Amino acid sequence: MRLELDIFDIKDIQFAEKTFLKDGVLYINRDEMREILETDARISRVDIELVHPGDKSRILQVADVIEPRAKISKDGGIPDPVGQGQTSVLRGAAIVLSDYRDMGDVTTSKDPNGEIIDMSGPAAEIGIYGRTHNIVLMPQSGDRVTALDYQAALKVAGLKAAEYLAKVGEALEPDEVELYELPNLTEITSGMKNLPKVTYIFQIMSLQFEPIPGEPVLYGSQADRIVPTILHPNEILDGAVTSPLPALNVQTYQIQNHPIIRELYQRHGKDLCFAHVIVMTAPNNVSEFERVAGITAGIAKGVIGADAAILTKTGGGAPELVMARTAQRCEQAGIKTAIAMLHMGADISDAKFGASTIFSMPEVDAIVSMGFPFMELTLPPVDKIIGRPGLLQEESPINGEVVKAIRWIKGSQCQLGGSALKAVRY
Amino acid sequence: MRVVHYLNQFFGGIGGEDKAHVGATVVEGPVGPGRGIQKELGDLGEVVATVMCGDNYFAENIEKASAEVMELLSPFNPDVVIAGPAFLAGRYGIACGAVCQAVQDRFSVPAVTGMHGENPGLDLYRRDVYIVETADSVRGMPQALSKMVTLAGRLAEKQKIGRPSEEAYFPRGLLVNEISDQIGAKRVVDMLLRKLQGQSFESEVSRPSYDRVTPAPAIADMQKASIAMVTDGGLVPKGNPDKIEIRTATRFGRYSIKGIDTLNPEAYEVNHEGYDSVFVREDPHRLVPLDVMRDFEREGLIHKLHETFYSTTGVANIVDTVRQMGEKIAHELKAEGVSGVILTST
Repeated sequence: MRLELDIFDIKDIQFAEKTFLKDGVLYINRDEMREILETDARISRVDIELVHPGDKSRILQVADVIEPRAKISKDGGIPDPVGQGQTSVLRGAAIVLSDYRDMGDVTTSKDPNGEIIDMSGPAAEIGIYGRTHNIVLMPQSGDRVTALDYQAALKVAGLKAAEYLAKVGEALEPDEVELYELPNLTEITSGMKNLPKVTYIFQIMSLQFEPIPGEPVLYGSQADRIVPTILHPNEILDGAVTSPLPALNVQTYQIQNHPIIRELYQRHGKDLCFAHVIVMTAPNNVSEFERVAGITAGIAKGVIGADAAILTKTGGGAPELVMARTAQRCEQAGIKTAIAMLHMGADISDAKFGASTIFSMPEVDAIVSMGFPFMELTLPPVDKIIGRPGLLQEESPINGEVVKAIRWIKGSQCQLGGSALKAVRY
Repeated sequence: MRVVHYLNQFFGGIGGEDKAHVGATVVEGPVGPGRGIQKELGDLGEVVATVMCGDNYFAENIEKASAEVMELLSPFNPDVVIAGPAFLAGRYGIACGAVCQAVQDRFSVPAVTGMHGENPGLDLYRRDVYIVETADSVRGMPQALSKMVTLAGRLAEKQKIGRPSEEAYFPRGLLVNEISDQIGAKRVVDMLLRKLQGQSFESEVSRPSYDRVTPAPAIADMQKASIAMVTDGGLVPKGNPDKIEIRTATRFGRYSIKGIDTLNPEAYEVNHEGYDSVFVREDPHRLVPLDVMRDFEREGLIHKLHETFYSTTGVANIVDTVRQMGEKIAHELKAEGVSGVILTST
C-alpha cells in the first residue's frame, strides 16, 4: 500500500470571499463553509472563528482537534481508497471543535470550561495547538437534539470542515511530499528476514464512557463492538480512525500524525520490520478484558508472527489494565513488549507503593513515561475568549489568570508517544 | 557553611543501651562521626555543634524530644543539619527523621539524614526529608558521610537537587514532569529494541508492589446479617456536603437512608470525573441499589440494611489513602454490627 501525503505549509489563514490557497495563506469563505456544516439537522448554527499563534486568545470546551485533510485525485477522477493514492494535508492549520452546549448537558467533564487551548503563554508552549493556525467551530445544538446526537454531529462537522478546506490542494503543487509505502503482510519480511517483526497494538477506544451512537470512529462507524483486527498503518494515517469523544488525551490530529506509526516507518528496514497495526478497544469489565487481550495476542503471534509489539492506551484506568493484560498475554506467547503511557501518581504520599501504574506484572517491564497529567501551570490573562464559558465565572474569571492542571490543556500530553514529557520520581 | 550534627547516645560516646534513656545535650564542635563530616567538609564548612540524645528518650516522646533538640541547636544558627547516619537502627532512624523534619518546619533550614532501606524511620520521613541510602551497619560510615555531606552542601546552597539515583537519596514520592530530549515514540521503540537484543534497559515507570487481600469467610446465615452499601462511584447528597474531591479523593461520606425506600435523583449528585455519570444521575439505584436491598429486607433474605451508605470517589487514587479510608469504613461498620457489604464500583 502506497500513500502520498501532499503537504501544504500554512503560514496564515484569513476569511475571504472565496476559499483558496495562495502563497501559504489559506483563504476561507466563512459563509460557504458554514452553509455546508449547517445542512446537518442536529446543528442549528455554526460560528467559526480564526486564531493564530501568539494571539492572546483562549479556546474553551475543546472536544477534538483535526488536521485539515482530503483525499484528492490530480487527474480529476475518483480518489483512491483510504491509505492509498494522494491526500492533501494543510500542515500548520487545525480545526478545533468547541462544544457549544449548555454546560448542564455536559456529563464527562467537571471543569466548567472543559479542556482549553491558549494561543500564547505557557499552555501554548507545552501544547501543540498553540502553534497551529486554528479554525474554531462552535456548532449550536438543534432543537430537541440529545447530548449524544449533538456530539456525533460535532465530530462530523469537524471532519466535513477538514475535507472542505483541504480540497484546496487538489489543483496545486505541494510544498513537500511524504511517502508511506509498506507491502502486505505476506511480503513484509522480503529482504529483511533477519530483522525483528514489530507490530503496534493500538487501543483506539475506551468504553469507560458511553459510546456515542453515530460517531464516526473506525471507517465512519462507531467501534465499540469490534473485535481486535489488523489495519495497514497507512489506513490509520489516512483517516480510518478518529478519536472517540471525549477524546481522552488523544486527538484525531495526533492519530493522523501518529508518532509511533511514523517512528516505526522510519525504522522499517533498518532496525526492525514494521508488521502493521492491530487495533482494539478497551472494554469496561474483566471478562471482556480477557477476551480482547487473548484475541489480540493471538493475532500478533499466530497471524502476524510478530517478535515484538508496542502498546499504547487511550483514557484512564480500565484501558491501562487492558493494555497491560494484552502486553502480558503477548509476553507469555513469546512476544517482547514495550509500552508508552501517561501515568498517575499525584504529588503526594505514594512513595511507599510507587503506585504510578495500577497494574503490577513482572512481564510488563518496559514502560516509557509520557508524563503525568496533574502538573499545574499558571496561565496569564487573555484578551479574547472563544467558546462558551462555563459557570463559576465570578470566582475565577476564565479570561483572567488561571491555574490549570495540564490535563485540561488540549494537546499538552499525548498517549501516542508524541510529546517529550516524562515523569521522573524525586 | 555552619553545620549542626545530631547523634544518639551511642555514637555520641555517652554509652550503650544502658544510657538510652538520657535526655538531649549539646556540645560545641564535632563528636564521633562528626569528625568524619568535618573531614568531608574541609574548608567548605564547620561542624559548629553536636546535639545528642538517648534513643529511648527520643522514641518515647518524639514531640517533646524534638522540641528540646530544637532549643539546643537554635543558638548555633545552622545553615544545614545532618543527622546520623542511623543505618538499620530503628529508634535512631526515627529520631534522625524527626529531627530533620523539625529543623525544616521550624527554622526553614535544610536537613539530611542517612539510613538503610529497611529502617522503619524511612517510610515515616522519606516524603519530607532527604534520606541518603546507607549500608546496614557502621561499616558503611565513610560512604554514608560522603553522600550526606555532598547533599547537605547542595541543599544549604539552594542548588537544584538531582534525581534520587544521581544524589543517592531515597525517592520522596514526588512525580515531576520533565522534558526529555526525545519524544516518547522514539524512546519506546529504542527500549523495545534493547529488550529484543537482550541489552539492559531501564523502565521509566517503576513497578508498584500491591498487597494481596484475603477475602473474609462467607456469611453463614444471611437472614441474620446486617448489610451495608459502600460505593466508590461518587454518589453524594446535592451540594457534596463532605467536599469529597472529584478525583484522588482523600475523604468519604456517610449518608443516612433511615426510613427511606428509594433514592430521589433530585436529592443526589455524582461527584466523579472518571466515568459518564448520566445514568446514575437519572437513577441513583444503578450505583447504590437501595430499592433492591429494601426488597431483600422485606422478604427476609437479609436481617437488615445498615442505615447509612458510604461513598467516596474512586479515580486516580493514592493506594495509601484509599487503604486508610477502607480501614476506617470497615472499622465503623464492624463496630455497628455490620457483617457484609455490597461494594459497587464504576
